[in-house]
Amino acid sequence: MNDTIAYVGEHAWAGTLGHVLTSLSFGGAFLSLLAYFTGAFRGEQGLNGLGRIGFRLHTAAVFGIIGLLFVMLLKHWFEFDYVWKHSNTAMPLRYILSCFWEGQEGSFLLWTFWHVVLGNILLRRAGEWEAPVMTVFALVQAFLATMLLGVWIGDVRVGSSPFLLIRELPENLGLPWTQLPDYLTKIPQFADGRGLNPLLQNYWMTIHPPTLFLGFAATLVPFAYAIAGLWKRQYSAWIGPALPWTFFGVMVLGVGILMGGAWAYEALSFGGFWAWDPVENASLVPWLTLVGAGHLMLVNKRKGTSLFTTLFLTLLTFILVLYSTFLTRSGVLGDTSVHSFTGEGMLPGLLLFLLSFIMLSVAMLNEQWEQRRFYLLISGMMLVLGAALQVQVAAIVLFAITSVVMLVVGYRTSPFHLRPVKINYDIGSSDLRSEGVAKLEQVILFMKSNPDLLVEVVGHTDNVGDAKINEKLSAQRANVVCDAIVAKGGNGRQLVAIGLGSLKPIAPNTTEDGRSRNRRVEITAREENVWSREFWLFIGALVLVLSAAQITFSTSVPVFNLLLEPFGHVFGWLADKTGIELFKDLSQAKLAPPGDAKAHYNKWQIPFAFIVALLVAIGQFLSYKDTDMKRFGKRIGLHALIALALTVLGVVLLDYKAADLNLIALYFATAFAAVANAGYLVQVLKGKWDGWGPSVAHVGFALVLLGALISTSRQQEISRNLQGPDLRLLNEGFDNGTDMLLYKGDTMRMGPHFVTFTGRRQEGVNLHFDMDYLAAVPSAYVPGDTVRVRNSLFRAKAAHTASIDFLKDLGAGLWEELENYPRRALWHAERWGSYRPGAREFALEPFVQLNPRFGNVAEPSTRHWLTRDLYTHIRYAKLDGGDTSDYMPPRTFEKKLGESIVTPTSIIRMDSLRTVRDSVTRAVLGPEFTAYSLRVNVCDVYDSTRCFEARPVLITRFGEPVASKGFELPELKMRLDLKGVKGDTVVLDVSEREFVILQAIVFPGINILWVGCVLMALGTFMAVRQRIRRRPATA
Amino acid sequence: MKRSHIIAILIIAVAIAALVGSLYDSSTYADLEQAMAHPGKEYHVVGVLDRSQAIVYEPSQNASLTQFSMVDLKGRTCTVMLHKAKPQDLERSERLVLIGEADENGNFHARDMLMKCPSKYNEENKVTGV
Repeated sequence: MNDTIAYVGEHAWAGTLGHVLTSLSFGGAFLSLLAYFTGAFRGEQGLNGLGRIGFRLHTAAVFGIIGLLFVMLLKHWFEFDYVWKHSNTAMPLRYILSCFWEGQEGSFLLWTFWHVVLGNILLRRAGEWEAPVMTVFALVQAFLATMLLGVWIGDVRVGSSPFLLIRELPENLGLPWTQLPDYLTKIPQFADGRGLNPLLQNYWMTIHPPTLFLGFAATLVPFAYAIAGLWKRQYSAWIGPALPWTFFGVMVLGVGILMGGAWAYEALSFGGFWAWDPVENASLVPWLTLVGAGHLMLVNKRKGTSLFTTLFLTLLTFILVLYSTFLTRSGVLGDTSVHSFTGEGMLPGLLLFLLSFIMLSVAMLNEQWEQRRFYLLISGMMLVLGAALQVQVAAIVLFAITSVVMLVVGYRTSPFHLRPVKINYDIGSSDLRSEGVAKLEQVILFMKSNPDLLVEVVGHTDNVGDAKINEKLSAQRANVVCDAIVAKGGNGRQLVAIGLGSLKPIAPNTTEDGRSRNRRVEITAREENVWSREFWLFIGALVLVLSAAQITFSTSVPVFNLLLEPFGHVFGWLADKTGIELFKDLSQAKLAPPGDAKAHYNKWQIPFAFIVALLVAIGQFLSYKDTDMKRFGKRIGLHALIALALTVLGVVLLDYKAADLNLIALYFATAFAAVANAGYLVQVLKGKWDGWGPSVAHVGFALVLLGALISTSRQQEISRNLQGPDLRLLNEGFDNGTDMLLYKGDTMRMGPHFVTFTGRRQEGVNLHFDMDYLAAVPSAYVPGDTVRVRNSLFRAKAAHTASIDFLKDLGAGLWEELENYPRRALWHAERWGSYRPGAREFALEPFVQLNPRFGNVAEPSTRHWLTRDLYTHIRYAKLDGGDTSDYMPPRTFEKKLGESIVTPTSIIRMDSLRTVRDSVTRAVLGPEFTAYSLRVNVCDVYDSTRCFEARPVLITRFGEPVASKGFELPELKMRLDLKGVKGDTVVLDVSEREFVILQAIVFPGINILWVGCVLMALGTFMAVRQRIRRRPATA
Repeated sequence: MKRSHIIAILIIAVAIAALVGSLYDSSTYADLEQAMAHPGKEYHVVGVLDRSQAIVYEPSQNASLTQFSMVDLKGRTCTVMLHKAKPQDLERSERLVLIGEADENGNFHARDMLMKCPSKYNEENKVTGV
């Protein structure tokens, strides 16, 4: 519509190119999808060439989009919405990466980019798996490409393009300024962009998102292989190639999550590395299920067990990645997270993406085509009808129920699950009846799908006749069944025949009906041994799933409100009937996340972490299939003892009480896990470097948990709110708070240090606050030293080092109270203290990034030691960098003479006003000037004996103030400035000496966490490397 | 009963316990009227800063107390005692979520507060034209 206007200085071609490239990226992915799907469907490789062309086209387009967006950002083409919103000219170049992925579209591009990279590796390496695996990749890429299309289909916008010009935004269409050809120069706002959110101007932010997204992208590989395996009925062959990718994902995602923690710790004033924020949770949950899936893959590769759970967890992980994308980007989190994206109309697209892959996963887990078709048809219809009839919520609830039901059906009918088979017999016969033969089909299918599993065939008889003969008959019945299975193509080695005679009847043998039911053969899958590695790994995976479920559940509270809303009256009715408060809350659909998130998650997650850590400790010592318990006990016993000793030491050092039992238990479990895995390296693996990976990773994991446990449970806020009345004196439950007020130049005790606020300096946009930390040395007094304690003066009688309690020293005869002294001596006397500031130890400089557009951001400064960190951040301060006075911004009062001003620290009485009109003043200044001198009396609120006189002066010319000379009262840390005089009314500015409010926290043992992070990443890397090296030999 | 069944039952029991327990732990979004009617019960209250009233923060008296006035989404106003240092950008805030409880005197004591500032997350990033 604007064809006729030739815009000046616009780079519209870039927008056009961008739109072409996004369409091309979608087209390429779609072509690839069609080709690979057809090829995989027909089971032929012939179409792979076309699929590759499509995917490479897609690859080229994605690289083109990324390159173009970088050029736009680097060249500051602010006519583009994305560039304008996320960058500006003042920003350092190194943050251009952060700008790139700050926005919704950019972070989708980053995700797409990693998929493209991984997809291209798979193109070369997937071999026979190429067609089905790449079908899934192309499908995902097609979905992601639509997120960037930004085209309108009817009233619905599909995706959001980063190549939109600001004048093309829907809200700007048709506005008069868009008709100006030279709008870029005419409208000043286009001169510069909005800049980057200061929270993101941090080096962590340049590496954290790419790492996290690579981790997310890596979960697609095992997902694609699992779908391919189900599709091509290669139920366990997919695990081999998927396994290294899974642990690669575990490593990268784990590192990405912990980088987020490091970012929160180093740069955000969250007061810790983990806040259980919804966005943090959303990245943790897929990691938990991915770890579970990876370990079950290991089990399955060795023992062939838990195949359904392995598949389920692998598929679930990617679904959870999609779900977390949905949570953090659709805007549903709303008020509950500090760093989620706003919706920007992405909700329908993201929801469709998520639901489609749930549908795909559940359908594929149903092994039979009829079930798949039925499920796809029903669930698809529900969603379409729901959307068409505007009853989306009901449709989604129904969809969820259907999906869960079909998941159970899929499990029950899957070839990895053997439903117990019962075959009945005629009296005294071991011949198979024809209905019995038919029942063997599913047993054979199960055996073929699970070549590593054993099947128990147990024969039984009724109680008629001799026990010996019955036992023989039962064994014969079992053998006949086994023979029949082998005759039909089953592998005899998988069969275990047992004859139990009449020992285990399932019905009373008193009636013929009962007896006929007892004459039977039961065929079941043999359960794994309790003392086997596979059994406990399976339990561990389930615990991880429970942990993930709990986190997901609590994080999803805002989603529940959307789902509950239409059912409000149902819960309202339930609440009326039962009187249960919970139903009432549910009926209102106004659930909020737990008020104290940390306490809530710790309550639930500590027990899960405890079990997982114990399993990590014993896991490697358990053998597959069956464990020699004596040997196991011998090997593990020493480690348990060492861990116990470490726990006792920790309990003493960290002062854990009996009420902290859950912490102590977790402490033991993590110490046990670390010691046992380190011990495994020494005892079992010795010099075999190749196999070190898992143990190193496990030690790392245990240390991460241990470090997190110690540093969060024993973090100590050493800053104290010392102002005003001591609330702790009122009641034990009162806490003064940890916000400490520190006047500039004052030195105050803080934990094991003294701290001085020496001043502020501005560097660029950062306002630094210099905090000097001084050693606390015990005070030494010599005879004659005078100190103040409350409102009395004391003189030292002997040289001594102060104890921690003055009364103790007084009682020991070290001090004598003075009786006659001038009041001034009291004020000037030093206060008694058991410690006094010593040498300067170190300095910290927390700073505030000044950003008038996004809001200021306080960033902490941390001193690191081996055993602890001291973390300091500014909570409140004077932020005007240009104001170099030593006072806070003044407060202005207008009072009549004789009245008083009451501030939190002082009472200021206006005593009298003197007009200076002597001849000297007139001669110097001229007759038009008048000088006023106000006499005020200022008293300390808390100490009525401390009163001072102040005389601020004001000079006016023709009644207008021209100069003012303030009066400083250092004893009361304030300054008074006379600002105006009107008759007997005076205007007085009261300024307090400059101060900051700071908070300081000691985190003990945080280095254990960081060491653990490094070991975990390193160990996983070693394990992946070894898997990749070993693969060609075993494949 | 087979072992797998015992495990399945155990897992389901723990799962239900965790989910119901989490539901009980969750707080409730409420307006001021509801919060005032249940003093001592924790709520999340959404509202905006009442700019007609002064924000009182006297660090020399109590560095961990900020007092201001908030209007909830239904237009009811109340005095809020935020037991924290004054957030730097409180004046600029667009929307507040208080986490805390009301007392008997009709004041709201917030243990924590989430703030959404305008333009912090691109909401108001719009070129208005001239």
